[in-house]
Amino acid sequence: MALLKEEDRQYLENLFRENLKDKVKIILFSEKAAGSKLVVPGRIECPYCQQTREILEELTGLSDLLELEVHDFLTDEIIAKKYNVDKIPAILFEKNNNVLGVRYFGIPSGYEFSSLIEDLIDISRGETQLSPTTKSFLKTVDKPVHIQVFVTPTCPYCPRAVRLAHQFAMENPLITADMIEAIEFPHLAEKYEVTGVPKTIINEKVEIEGAVPENVFLEYFKSALKD
Amino acid sequence: MDFISIAKPMDKIEEEQEVIILGGGPAGLTAGIYAGRNLWKTLIIEKAIIGGNAALTEKIDNYPGFPEGITGEELVKRMEIQAKKFGSKILEADVLNFRIDGIWKIIETSNGIYRAPTLIIATGTRPRKLEVPGEEEFTGKGVSYCAVCDGAFFTGKRVAVVGGGDSAVEEAIYLTKFAEEVILIHRRDTLKAEKITQQKAFSNPKIKFLWSHIVKAIEGDKKVERLILQDLKTNEIKQLPIDGVFIYVGLIPNTEIFKDILNLDKDGFIITDEKMHTSVPGIYAAGDVRGKILRQIVTAVADGAIAGMEASKFLEDIKYNKEV
Repeated sequence: MALLKEEDRQYLENLFRENLKDKVKIILFSEKAAGSKLVVPGRIECPYCQQTREILEELTGLSDLLELEVHDFLTDEIIAKKYNVDKIPAILFEKNNNVLGVRYFGIPSGYEFSSLIEDLIDISRGETQLSPTTKSFLKTVDKPVHIQVFVTPTCPYCPRAVRLAHQFAMENPLITADMIEAIEFPHLAEKYEVTGVPKTIINEKVEIEGAVPENVFLEYFKSALKD
Repeated sequence: MDFISIAKPMDKIEEEQEVIILGGGPAGLTAGIYAGRNLWKTLIIEKAIIGGNAALTEKIDNYPGFPEGITGEELVKRMEIQAKKFGSKILEADVLNFRIDGIWKIIETSNGIYRAPTLIIATGTRPRKLEVPGEEEFTGKGVSYCAVCDGAFFTGKRVAVVGGGDSAVEEAIYLTKFAEEVILIHRRDTLKAEKITQQKAFSNPKIKFLWSHIVKAIEGDKKVERLILQDLKTNEIKQLPIDGVFIYVGLIPNTEIFKDILNLDKDGFIITDEKMHTSVPGIYAAGDVRGKILRQIVTAVADGAIAGMEASKFLEDIKYNKEV
């Protein structure tokens, strides 16, 4: 059964037709045996891999400008390493042969589905909704920055934090921004002491509780750059 | 928040609208439907969540027309589609500043400046804080104001809910999906929530009640570990070991930027007449942000409809020339 309802399919088809500009390739790291009950030695438990793949297949079927490439996390280990993918399901984006720093770990369901749609449009159009002040600052960033945004699919505030972080990553290839679905990766939720979402960690040292406006986020981001 | 620097996009030109609606909850979206159906160029500005607080409610059982109940998410999504269908545009942005220049109501946002002869304020409310030691420090570390967001982190744990109104009792019931035990702490000895909700809570074996108690402090090392409570009947101070605390003790209206311009009541809600008119012609208030007796989705949409129609009348009265 399709995950997308017919009315949503139509809505998205229109939205993509009107808003997508350039081709975007979605790269999914999953597992081949996802969904099967078969016990495979070395296989990682990935309860949401199958569903993530299905939703991406349906989504990329809605526009000729969208393409899906699926890798098996275990057998395509070298590619996973190359892109620094250390957990699954993982979603990355490629445009003009460049893999961007915009990433999803865990299923982009619930409220995060809208983040994925908005990201696709921004990536395809090659422009973000950030203010000129933010954009010009981000151009000056000259060292790697890693942003991790912890979310739950039922959190209405979370897409705002995810989208902000992802747009930061779109503005500069040195910035990597990960959405992390906290319930799927409990060891990370525990490591970063996440008991409320959204929670954002920048370069392992700056923590932001809740969704903050762009200008406030930019200040946190700047403070993470200081040595 | 420790620091806030307000960006002032001074060099941008104001974009002209006919109706500007602040807030994309049920009141704002309904105002958008009514203004849009009268063919006015309508912009809805929302800072965080389309659907507002209603989107945070897991299930809504008292909105007429949905006898089986409907999730908050689904209901507001339908309102959003309906508002867009009739031509309202939705902008996600923070409102930074507001001023009046003659007929124009000018809204400075984080994403452009907009002006229109009519403004509908449907900015709603935010959760009231307990204002006790530890609350700020442990926000996101066991203190939460959003059960649907954070409930799953307390699977198999023991949580407290503070409050006695509809939100507190409904969220206490919701949290029993995850938590082993939910302790509802209320300052009075009866609940204010709807009777049917109370019944559900009383019959839920996971919910315990602590009547006539108030929270004096939230304590812990790195995260919430216990509450310091006061029994109002005996004045005794007690400790309650707990993993998390969800706070539902009332609402604060989002009216700060209007306080020098509009008449507000003593709690900060906007005073309107039954036509949703505020103290300034062309400015209307609708939904929870307005001083009123019942804050429900069904009353919010009613306010929104009236405000949308009154804004339409205002635009016609001033013979505002529409650019078609």
